[in-house]
Amino acid sequence: MLADGLRRALTLLVAGDPDVLGIAALSLRVALTATVLACLVGVPLGFLLGTTRFRGGRTALTVLNTMLAFPTVLVGLLVWLLLARNGPLGGLGLLYTWWAIVLAEVLLAAPIAAALTAAAVQSVDPRVRRTALTLGAGPLRVHWVVAREARYALFSTVVVAFGRVLAEVGAAMIVGGNIRHHTRTFTTAVALATSQGDFALAIALGLVLLALALTVNVLLHMLQGRGDALGT
Amino acid sequence: MLSVRDLTHRYDGRVVLDVAAFTLPPGSVTALVGPNGSGKSTLLRILAAVERIDRGVLELDGRPVRTRADRLAARRAITLVEQQPLLFDLSVRANLRDALRLHGEVSPRADPRIAEALELVGAGALGDRGARALGGGETQRVAIARAVLLEPRVLLLDEPLSAADRAARDALADTLARLRERGTTVCFSSHLLEKAYRWSTRLFTLVEGRIEGVTPENLFRVDIPPGQGSRTVQAGPLALTVVTDREGPSTVAIPPEDILVSRTALASSARNQFPGRVSAIGEDGRGRIRLVVDVGTDLVVRITPSALTELDLHVGTPVVLAVKAMAVRVF
Repeated sequence: MLADGLRRALTLLVAGDPDVLGIAALSLRVALTATVLACLVGVPLGFLLGTTRFRGGRTALTVLNTMLAFPTVLVGLLVWLLLARNGPLGGLGLLYTWWAIVLAEVLLAAPIAAALTAAAVQSVDPRVRRTALTLGAGPLRVHWVVAREARYALFSTVVVAFGRVLAEVGAAMIVGGNIRHHTRTFTTAVALATSQGDFALAIALGLVLLALALTVNVLLHMLQGRGDALGT
Repeated sequence: MLSVRDLTHRYDGRVVLDVAAFTLPPGSVTALVGPNGSGKSTLLRILAAVERIDRGVLELDGRPVRTRADRLAARRAITLVEQQPLLFDLSVRANLRDALRLHGEVSPRADPRIAEALELVGAGALGDRGARALGGGETQRVAIARAVLLEPRVLLLDEPLSAADRAARDALADTLARLRERGTTVCFSSHLLEKAYRWSTRLFTLVEGRIEGVTPENLFRVDIPPGQGSRTVQAGPLALTVVTDREGPSTVAIPPEDILVSRTALASSARNQFPGRVSAIGEDGRGRIRLVVDVGTDLVVRITPSALTELDLHVGTPVVLAVKAMAVRVF
């Protein structure tokens, strides 16, 4: 069955099956958009929690770490209730669109980005901040120096957030509805194919998903390498 | 001019610094000596305006450093090189360029200045190396070059010789000489007394967080047994009689001026007599002779040049040192 799946996957890919290509394009679009948005929210939040001491900061970190264990179907359900026609954001008409999936994935990935960022900047040698201060750096530049020292860990944060979003299925299924050509992503397509007994297609899609994840990670690592070269 | 007044600083509820006044006059080179844990690093960090003060005032040119803007301005006038300096995870040259940028300078002449600073500390060849791949001495030299590059009015160096190899020591001596020409105010902490004496114009001892009026030689950590008045404590290998009301862990100092040197044991009122041999003879840079006598541990004794001649002392001469119990300072 696995061999069959591999053969089928190759056929689908080589033939440039429009269905598979459409699913791939949508999955990438959803994953990249959600990763960017989640990092835009999560990274600054994590930075703040990791570098600044204030009342409730530790509690916030605990809440954040708890959110890492949030069941994805629960997030899906919450977003569904928000976006449902009689929900608070029902008027936007976003339910069963790819934007609904993006919203759910952002809610899932932003805490990951925040928690990992906080851990990354907390593990930076305290002398980094002090050295920047002794060199006469203003507050913004001090933050920049700390972020630069944590750059490898921050890159990993982006990679992990992206992986989470790309591989997520529960929330995408609930709020996207797995509508062909509209909200069918790799994971929801694999779930559907499996439930229909079309294991070969499921395996094929799974393999393409893995290849896609590999490609994006390689690209990110190349980007990280270039960022490194710029620093010297 | 940089100074602290009425300073009390706590760490974990314990007072680690208690300094009524400490001033660095413009152009002076001040050495700060004292045992480990005496508060030297904390004092330097406070002077560098990177550590908050619990109580007291930091003043730059007579004006208190209070607000965020004051602190930033102070940090741009003062640079601290820490005991274990940190270079950023960049190349050596990028570290120096970065320092200029952090300092708020966009210098069109950055590259020649960076080359000059590296040359000054003998690190001209290290420019392209990754800063984190350097050894301890190299790191220290590059950190000093980075500080000098910023042309601070006050340069603070915390134990600049701790990780220093020979090259770093020589580089530091050259650098200090250059800074003196420029009129830069320098304050460094050190446990190497000879260097501290040679390189500084002023010398202070920090003991248990206080600036003490004793010279830093012959300091011992002791545990004083309970009781009152005269007691005998174990100061390294020496059984030392002291007079104090203190008990428990303390520091004792035997002032080098208060030690009597004789060729044979004296019948005297001095409670402490230690036989030993002269192990080094030198000048202290202030017109007196500095003897080091090995009595099981090294004790520093200061005598006049005429006493040296009269007693006919040489390296290896057996002598007896005598110290009154009352002369031993207890902190």
